[in-house]
Order: sequence, then C-alpha cells, then structure tokens
Amino acid sequence: MTTTSMDTMTAMPDAASDERVATKRRLPKLGVTFGVLWLGTLIFLAVFADFMPFIRGYGQSLDGATNTRFGPGIDFWFGSDTLGRDVFARCIYGARTSLTIASASILVGTVVGGTLGMVAGYFKGWVDRVISIFTDSLLALPAIIIASLLVGRFDVLADSDIKFLGFGFGWMSRTWSVTIVFSLLSIAPVARIVRAQTLSLSQREYVLAARSLGASTRRVLWREIVPNVIPALTAVIFTGIAILLAAEGGLAFLGYSVPRPPSWGSMIADDRDKIEEAWWTSIFPCFMLFFTVLAFNLIGDRLARRFDIREAAL
Amino acid sequence: MSADRLSVRHDDGEPLLQVAELRTHFRTPRGMVRAVDGVTFTLERGKALGVVGESGSGKTVLARTVMGLLPKRNVNTSGSVRFGGVEMLGLPQRQMRELWGTEMAMVFQDPMSSLNPLMKVGKQITEPLRFHMGMGKSDSIATAERLLRDVRIPEPRRRLNQYPHELSGGMRQRVMIAIALACGPNLLFADEPTTALDVTVQSQILDLIAEQRRDRNMAVILVTHDLGVVANYTDEIAVMYAGRLVEKAPTRTLFSNMKMPYTKALLRSIPKLNLPSHTRLDTIPGRPPDLVHPPRGCRFAPRCANARDRCTEEEPPLLAADSDDHTYACWYPVGSPEYREREEQLKRLDDRRVLAAEEAG
Amino acid sequence: MRYLLQRFVQFLIVFVVVTFIVLAATRIGSSDPLRDLAGGQVNQERLEEVAADYPYLDKPLVIQYGYWMTDIVTGDWGYSYYQSQSVMDMFKQRAPATFFIVFWALVIGLLIALPVGIYSAYRRDRIFDKATSLSTFATISMPSLVVAVLLLYAVAARTDLFPTVGGSNYVAPWDNPYEHFKNFFLPALTLGVGIGGVWSRLLRADMVLTLQSDFVTLAKAKGISPMRILWVHALRASVLSLITSVALQLGALISGSIIAEQFFGPRGLGDRLVFAIQQNDLLTLQAIAVVIVAVVVVANLAVDLLYAVVDPRIRAARALT
Repeated sequence: MTTTSMDTMTAMPDAASDERVATKRRLPKLGVTFGVLWLGTLIFLAVFADFMPFIRGYGQSLDGATNTRFGPGIDFWFGSDTLGRDVFARCIYGARTSLTIASASILVGTVVGGTLGMVAGYFKGWVDRVISIFTDSLLALPAIIIASLLVGRFDVLADSDIKFLGFGFGWMSRTWSVTIVFSLLSIAPVARIVRAQTLSLSQREYVLAARSLGASTRRVLWREIVPNVIPALTAVIFTGIAILLAAEGGLAFLGYSVPRPPSWGSMIADDRDKIEEAWWTSIFPCFMLFFTVLAFNLIGDRLARRFDIREAAL
Repeated sequence: MSADRLSVRHDDGEPLLQVAELRTHFRTPRGMVRAVDGVTFTLERGKALGVVGESGSGKTVLARTVMGLLPKRNVNTSGSVRFGGVEMLGLPQRQMRELWGTEMAMVFQDPMSSLNPLMKVGKQITEPLRFHMGMGKSDSIATAERLLRDVRIPEPRRRLNQYPHELSGGMRQRVMIAIALACGPNLLFADEPTTALDVTVQSQILDLIAEQRRDRNMAVILVTHDLGVVANYTDEIAVMYAGRLVEKAPTRTLFSNMKMPYTKALLRSIPKLNLPSHTRLDTIPGRPPDLVHPPRGCRFAPRCANARDRCTEEEPPLLAADSDDHTYACWYPVGSPEYREREEQLKRLDDRRVLAAEEAG
Repeated sequence: MRYLLQRFVQFLIVFVVVTFIVLAATRIGSSDPLRDLAGGQVNQERLEEVAADYPYLDKPLVIQYGYWMTDIVTGDWGYSYYQSQSVMDMFKQRAPATFFIVFWALVIGLLIALPVGIYSAYRRDRIFDKATSLSTFATISMPSLVVAVLLLYAVAARTDLFPTVGGSNYVAPWDNPYEHFKNFFLPALTLGVGIGGVWSRLLRADMVLTLQSDFVTLAKAKGISPMRILWVHALRASVLSLITSVALQLGALISGSIIAEQFFGPRGLGDRLVFAIQQNDLLTLQAIAVVIVAVVVVANLAVDLLYAVVDPRIRAARALT
C-alpha cells in the first residue's frame, strides 16, 4: 500500500452537509443531457421512419445486395445483414418495437402496481399482507423463464379455438402477448416501491392532519398520497423501461419476442454466429440496446436521486 | 515502518503540547468556513485544559485538528501543533497512526454511535492493544478486563462478550474511556464526554476521567459547552468564540476574575442549583456568527451588551491580565470603567422596565 | 424463534403461490395436458399408459397441484417422453453446469463489488471513484445479451483460449480445473459483470454512509490501519443491502444462465428449459421451475438468518418478538 490516509473517514458537521450534496452529484449533468438527446432522436426516427428517405424498409433487401454483405459505409451506415437488409433501418424499426412494448407495459404495471402498493401501504393490516404475498410471489418468479413460457403458451392459445366468456384469442399477436407478460412482471416492483412510499407518507403530519379533520379515505389518497407518490413513480418508470428493454432483448434472443418488425434482441440472436465474418450485424443492435438502456437508466437515476429513492428496490 | 518511528520526547522540560496560530478552514460551496482561526495555547504534562464555547465555536474542530483526525479533503490547516517536540501538522497518516491510541486518544460525545455496534466490547478494547502493543490474544483479553475494572464496570469479564447495545449509556461511555486509556496515552481528548448522558451519570464519568488522569499522569483536554462542568475538573480554561480563543486563564483565576463579557455571559447561562427556583436564566442573545463572513472587529460585538463603536471596528488582541497566564481579548473587559458604566445603564433600564411592568400589572 | 417461524410460513405460502402460477401457466391454451405429457403426437396405447400413471390430469387444477407437489416432494419427478429420460436423471445431468455458471458469476460479481465498492467509498470523488462510478453505470445498463456478444466478439472470436460459440462443455472442476475454467469463464463473466456493477454501487452507497459514522472515526482514533477499518469495521456494517441483493439476484442469475448457456454452453438446465418450453414438456418444465423457485425462496430465508448473524441488534430485537 502506498501512504493511504483515512481522510474521507471523518466528516465534520460543517462539511457533512455539502459532502452529501457531493454524493448526489456523482454523474455529471452530461449524462442526463446525453440520455434526453439520445432518446429524443431515437423516438423521432422510430416514429417517422416511414417518411424518412434515408431509412429503408426493414424487410427490404438492398439494391444489388441480395445475399451479399456490405460492411458499414456511406451508403449503408450499419452495413447489411445476411439477407442483404439494411441493418440501420432494422435498428430504427427495432426501436419502435422495443420501445412500444416496454413503455406500454410499464404504464400498465405502474397503474396496477401503484394502486396495489398504495392500498397496501395505506390500509396496512390483512390487506397489506395479502397484497405483499402476491407481490412477493411475483418477485420470486424467474422472470425470463416465466415470460418465455407464457409467450409460448399464448401462441398456442391464439392458434387454438378456445373461447373465454365468448371471446376467442385470435387477436393475440406476439406484440400483445409480450406486452401482457411484461405488464404482469412490472406490477410487483412498482407495488413494492409505492407501498414503502405510502407507508412513510401516511405517517406524515399533513396526512394525519387531513385524516383527523375527517377527510374521507378516498380524498386523503387522491389529494395527499397520490401527488406525493408520483415523483418517485417517474423515476421508477424510466428505470423500469430500461429493465424491460433488457428483458425484451433476452426474450427475443430465446425466440419469444416480436419477429417482425425485428427487435434488437432478435437481430442479435439471428446473426450472432456470423460475428466473425460480419460483426456489424450483431454489434450495432447491441450498441442500440446498450445506449438506449443507458439513456433510460441515466434519466431514471437522476430522478431517483432527485426524489430520494433507492435503486436497490428494482 | 520502524525507520519512520517518531521520536516523541517525554523527558526534557518541553511542554507536552504547543499549539500556535492554528487555523482550520473548510472549503464549502458557500465559501471558506473559518472553524478555527488562529488559536495558540500550551499544555503541560498531566494538566487538564477545558475548552469551552457554544456549539459552532470551533472547539470540536480544534480538538480534532490537534489530534489530526480531520479529513484532508476540503480542509486547509495551517499553523503549528508540536507534540512532545515533534511537529504534527502535515505528518503522513501512517505516522499519525502510531501516535493515535498510544500517545493521544479521544473520548467522543455519543458512546452509542461511537462504539462499533457490530463488534463485541472486548474486541473493541483489545484491538488497539494488539495493534499497537503487539499483545497476544490472552494478554490483551486480560488487559482489557483490567481496563474495564479500572473504569469501574461491574462484571468486566462478562462485559467483554457483550455488544454495545446491551450496555447502559453510562457504561458505554466507560467502555469508550477504557478504549481510550488502553495503550496509556499521554494526552486524552474528551469531546463533550457527558453531553449524551443522563445528568446523574455525568459527574461519575467526569470523576472517572479526573481520577484516571491523576493515576496515569495524563494530560486532558476537556471540550464542553458547559462552563460548570470544567470548573471542578480542569487546571486551566480556554474560552472559544467563533474560532478564536477569547479568554484563557487558570481555572480559579478565571472564575474569580473573568475579563471577557462572553465568558461572563456563558457563566450566567448555566442553571445553578443554589439559586431560588424561577430565577430567570440569562441567555446570550443572537447566534454565533457566520464563520464564512465573521463580523469585523470583535466577533462577539454584535451580541455583546457592552460593545461600543471601537468593538465593531478594531479586533481586540489577546492581552495579559493581572498575571501572565491570564489572557483575554476585549477592549472593555469586565471591571473596566466603560464596562461598569454600561452595566449601570443596563441596570437602570431593567429597573425601569420592572417598575413599568408592576404598574401595568 | 417465533420470528423465524413466521418468516418460514410466509415463504412457504409464496412458494406454493408461485409454483401454482407456474403449473397454471403451463396449461394455458392446452386442451389436452395428457397428450402434452405423453409427448405430443403419440399413439393411443401410449396415451393410455400415461393416463394410468397420471390419473389426476382431468381433475381441477388445484387437485392436480396437490398430486404434482406430492410427487415433487417425494422425489418422483416423472418421466419425460420427449427426452426419453426420467426428469430426475435429466436434472442430475444438467444441474451441475447451471450451478457452476451461477456460482462463478456470483464469485465474479463479489470479486468486482467488494474492492470497487469499498475503495471507491473510501476514496470518494477521486479519480478511482469517478472512473468506477462511470463504468459500473455502464455495466448495469448492459443487458447480459450485449455482454455476451461483446465477449464473443472481443475474446472468444480472437483467441483460441476459449471454446467457440456454443462449444463449451461441462467439465467438473475436480476432474480438470483448467478445462473447467476454460468452459465456464465466459458464461460466468457474462452474468458476473452486470451484477458486479449493481453490487458495487449498492456497497459504495452504504459504505459512504458508514464511513461518516462516529464509530469509524473512533476506530481511526485508535490508530488502526485503514485497511482493517475498511474491511473489518466498515464493511460489516455496510453489507446488509448487498446480502439482500445477492438473494434477490439469485433468481435472475439462474434465469440469466439460460442466455449464457445458449451463447457459450455448457448446456445446463437453461438449455433444457428452452426446449421444454418449445415442446411443452410439462414435467421437465415444472420440475426446473420448482427448483429455481425453491432456491430463490430458500435464499431469501437464508438472508433473514444472515441479518441476525451480521447485526447483533437484529438478533436482540427478534428474540423479543
């Protein structure tokens, strides 16, 4: 060891407060700026991909490129894949698929999980116990396994002529089933965080005051608890999307996500064995996935610090 | 390591601790906090010095700077701290570590948070013994038991195997003292050692420190906000205000002949048992000054009833009073004609107010 | 004791609920579980044979669960007609590979997290802290799929040291440690890097708070070496979140093992599971799921016990209830 000093170890009262400020500033603002720019550009391209002259169709082979591969260059930014399709275009369309599924799922998860967590944290007692067992069970489920199992079964269900309350399941495309499964999986973490928040909020002076003044339960929940839970939820939403994007990648890799338009995970899965001849076919989707997850994490992290919730909860 | 061993001298007539023009400034986003701003004092072997001041006066920072416990980051220190003839300021931590525990030790304010909650009391005491004295396991345990007996803990053997949360507050503070005494330091810092304790236990702890001091011929720096506490347990008292020493004298001299209006105000703010009940306590008005922008002139002037124009313009130097060992920093000290004049004015004002109140009531 | 009993019952309920969900999930869209069990397109004879072995398949799901769980607990895990192998044999054959992937991933994760978390807290806001803070943030944003591709591209494809894509085989460490390392390093690293980042950040955050506490200052004032203060005094007071996370992540690691196995091999439970899902090999599927859930639940219970080991105050508080 070189001369190590224990200097970070003692904190004087005067210095303590600004040291805490320093912890909060761990990642420079640069991170959030990058996150917002990256996501803004990506979402813009994904939404308007059909009208962009420089984005080809995701299934369309490049002119004169059928079955041959081009490396990245001026014409084909990310190169072309084994079937001669433009990797860049597929990455953009992949964003559309991945982002739609992740954000739709987290919204459902937030509404359902948020409600459950709030009810559990506010009423406590047996309500809390029942909901906690439910969320604990969901958390104990091995996520990727149960997701691929469910998506696989939903395929069978959609092909079958089984009817439930008179409705068939023919509408259940992969997009639907993945979204349903991810919604289900995002309920428990959200419920946990919201429950913890509600527990502490419901002990606050102003909530107690409102209750002692005879405000109805519904009123207390809507006027006092909900507005104070929402800031924390924004952080949860961003971090949640990051996690779901990663999960979608894994699911796609196992063949249980949306095949068309391609998601990043399925692009990686399809071409990973060609990595030595055509690295661009899997490396670029990897980068897209990484930077997008990073962007959501950066924003989520900033929000979490801002509203003081621990990242460990997810 | 042994090549770097410090030659701290304990033989010649050199005083144990000489602090000169010590400054500790914290760099904060608000600006430089001058927590200790030019403090000079000397401490002889085996003597007890009381450092007294309100919270925020810099007394705790002073103790930690002298001992070298402050983090380096965002801290500027200057001046001189000579311990046993060796300059301590700027020593690398590796060398400081050899002095911590063996030469100087510290007893902290809150024994609950200062003892490691996850470690048995015995291990916490034997740790420095094994580390510094190279004691074996059984030796160190025997020594730890003896130390616990020294600090008057009943059933010391059983306590060794207990955790801090299983002990009472007073007992925890005794354990902390045992830890501090473990390697026989020559200087003990006691940083508000009784503030977190029950009133009934406070004097026991102070008696214990005094007794150990006598037994071990150990010097003590007792940091406290309570002038009453230091009265019986110190040889000398240094009063701090806003990072500076404002008065310093042998304990008896200070109480019989205090010069600084601040010292007087501190004394007045202590509740006394021999006063009739419902006597109004004189609190010091206002708050200690902002140490980023300390006031011009005398730092106490804005809160001082005796302040005059000169006080807010010129900073009073430390002057010697009747004897050399009594110094104070005040333009119009207690007993001066100006002080008496102002006291009379204030008294008249007060009488008039009481009269008015009586008429109204 | 009462506390532990309470927790045990709680976890038991969770176990039952989760395994029931798994069972129910396997039956979605399936009109004929008997046929699924027998191996899909098979003759009438086989169907009758299987029906004789599993007479409860036409009963309500709750009853089926009862029969099935009894079988699982008594060690009769059934026979997979798809694999022409008993599920227990399959399990014995495949479990070691998955176990070692997860085990080494845990080890790698902790080997990253302990030094990085401790040292970056100790040297807070210095270069080391800033660098690791950035890189751990990058790794937690890196899905294991991406890590796998990068490892494949940067390491596996460029050196002869490791088996090529999907070419790893199971070698027991006691048979041939070097071969074991070669076959397990990349899959374990795939999973270990990400959790290492998560744990580093968790540990750092807790360590920073611990290092500001008074007892660390006292330890310093005792003249104890920084390394001892960090590893003995501060670490122990900062590991509770880390321990919790290890248990929480265990399930995710086992699931993640599927991806690592598919990418690099060695083929373990995850690989078998992928086929079981495709073929709707009910008994295999259910058995593997039960084991994973059981591991997760037991790990959580173990964490509860560890809490009391680490912190005597928790021990004391529990003794009172």
